[in-house]
Amino acid sequence: MGNTATERINTSTEPLPNSKRMASRLWRWRKHASWFQVTLIVFLTAIGLFMLLPIIFLFNNAFKPLNELFLFPPTIWVKEPTMRNFERLFLHSAAGVVPFTRYLFNSVIVVALTLFSVIMASTMAGYVLAKHRFHFKTLIMSLIMLSLMFAPETVSIPRYIMVSGLGMTNTYFAHVLPFIASPVAVFLMKQFIDQVPDALIEAAKLDGAGDMYIFTRIIIPLIAPAVATISIITFQAVYLDMEGSTLYTQKETMKTLAYYVSSLTANLQNSVAGQSIAAACALLMFIPNLIMFLLFQRKMIQTMLHSGVK
Amino acid sequence: MGNVKFHHVYKYYKGEPIPSVNDFHLDVADGEFLVLVGPSGCGKSTTLRMLAGLEDVSQGDIYIDGKFTNFVSPKDRDIAMVFQNYALYPNLSVHENMALGLQLRKVAKHDVELRVNRAAKMLEISHLLSKKPNQLSGGQKQRVALGRALVREPKAFLMDEPLSNLDAKLRTQTRTEIIKMHGQLQTTFVYVTHDQTEAMTMGTRIVVMKDGRIQQVAPPQQLYDEPRNLFVAGFIGTPQMNFLQGAVVRQDGVYYFETKRLKLRIPETYSVRFEASGANLRQIVLGLRPEHVACGNDAPEAWADWQAAAIVDMKEPMGSDTFLYTKVGEETLIARTDAHTPIRVGDSILLALQMNKAHFFDLESGVSLSIPGDRA
Ligand SMILES: Nc1ncnc2c1ncn2[C@@H]1O[C@H](COP(=O)(O)OP(=O)(O)OP(=O)(O)O)[C@@H](O)[C@H]1O
Ligand SMILES: [Mg+2]
Repeated sequence: MGNTATERINTSTEPLPNSKRMASRLWRWRKHASWFQVTLIVFLTAIGLFMLLPIIFLFNNAFKPLNELFLFPPTIWVKEPTMRNFERLFLHSAAGVVPFTRYLFNSVIVVALTLFSVIMASTMAGYVLAKHRFHFKTLIMSLIMLSLMFAPETVSIPRYIMVSGLGMTNTYFAHVLPFIASPVAVFLMKQFIDQVPDALIEAAKLDGAGDMYIFTRIIIPLIAPAVATISIITFQAVYLDMEGSTLYTQKETMKTLAYYVSSLTANLQNSVAGQSIAAACALLMFIPNLIMFLLFQRKMIQTMLHSGVK
Repeated sequence: MGNVKFHHVYKYYKGEPIPSVNDFHLDVADGEFLVLVGPSGCGKSTTLRMLAGLEDVSQGDIYIDGKFTNFVSPKDRDIAMVFQNYALYPNLSVHENMALGLQLRKVAKHDVELRVNRAAKMLEISHLLSKKPNQLSGGQKQRVALGRALVREPKAFLMDEPLSNLDAKLRTQTRTEIIKMHGQLQTTFVYVTHDQTEAMTMGTRIVVMKDGRIQQVAPPQQLYDEPRNLFVAGFIGTPQMNFLQGAVVRQDGVYYFETKRLKLRIPETYSVRFEASGANLRQIVLGLRPEHVACGNDAPEAWADWQAAAIVDMKEPMGSDTFLYTKVGEETLIARTDAHTPIRVGDSILLALQMNKAHFFDLESGVSLSIPGDRA
């Protein structure tokens, strides 16, 4: 509604003095939006800006020189931006046994493997749960729902037993395996695939398509938005996860970036240099998240629209 | 090559105590246009879906082309289906939608092109081939869906209320198109609808269903003229057939139909059936179509003892005719009359009930005791 209103205003371009134009603009806008809407928009904008604060703070912090980092009260905006923090980070990591790039490489591999397997597992499970008839379907669905209720901490011991029992400690699979069974992803996929009309699948069956063909060529293109959502959620979970590095891997060469960053800041907590490295790291960790979100956000909003809430 | 045989077919859905399709037993000849019609929930779609292989048959056998087909998967039945909500693949173009079934069956590429183009031409959708389904109107979508079935050159076409989502004009237009399609292809069509106009205009034979059971199978005209029971009589025909409840009595060798207010002589041709039927003659339903209720003034003399006094309650001008909703006592009788009739609402008129066209039903079982006298 805001969009159409502004569009309408923009298209009417009578040459008016600035203040008058402003007034008439507001007046016209008033015709489209009630006071309630105006208040709502102002209010939501304020909240939105407030939510943005940590991100702005994060960006600024990374470029603050040491003296600004320790200012009290802390400031949001950087006064004299510098790259020193990043230099310190790379210097420090170059001095370590395992180079920074190794952690980065591990993270990339783990994230890619996990994304791929979670998407595969959840879309396939979602398809079967939504569109196939078989025994104990409701039971299975309720078990999946039930597993949503457990806090991750409660299952870390069973997880460890499974990972070590499968001989996967110190491999990439140790990072990936605990994420594959993602009830949220399965649930979301099922909800989404539920909305694909049965007739579409039946038409494909009569056209001679097998289950695999229907799944890959008809279902998957239709649920791309849900896949995007799952990708974002999973990416964030895996990328920031440290359980895999702390519990299932002892070898330093198999640990991930998130672990490295946290260990950096943990070890250097009390040193002055630590703060500047932490600030730079925080930004580096944040950027891939941001990129993922920007890539998929439009699709993700579609998911919100589709998944029943509308 | 496309005859279909249902042999005492039942369908029990899981958890449902009563069958949704109950003893469906029917032979469909090759090239027939069979219409399944009935009220909502009577099992039409279920029957069609069993034929398509989309639902399991609980009991009984289905034969397509003489072959036992119960356990053949849908894709191997060589039938095409058109759905109510089109079911076009949203991510494929019109051309790809139509070609998919052929490609999956490994039809040679040039043959695919040929068939798609021919079907597109026949349905006048050639200019739409590169479009995506969401760029089409409802009518265009349904024609694409028809095209997708057409290119397959299947043994039988199954259609489940394909016109229900279209507006009145498009519906009539597409209906004609489907009739033409059947005329050209001479393939078996099984068509589900709850619209009796569609049923009457399209079918070479109509199956009327209710509560999972076949009520009557007959060509359209016969269905209209000789309904086998109360349900079929009431279901086919608009406005509905008039029903009057009363008794059949015999006086001096002549049968009369008697209600509180009326006493109508029944032509002799019916008499034999009453005796033989064993029905309770005190509880009989008389059925008379509106076109067989004339306004007394236009009635010939022979109908003199079939008259009833009535008051016009409502007038429904249709353009070609006018329907008068009249009250005879508490009972409503609909009469068809001339479009330019001078009769007005509130007028007292004489109706002539054309008893030689009447139907009689046993109230309890609903079974017809008669086929109208002049055709008996
Ligand atoms: N999947 C199902 N599970 C259980 N019962 C079903 C299922 N599908 C249909 N039924 C029941 O079977 C009966 C027949 O349904 P069907 O869809 O064949 O009716 P229909 O004649 O096609 O009606 P409509 O004109 O509304 O499409 C209905 O009573 C319905 O409730
Ligand atoms: Mg139906």
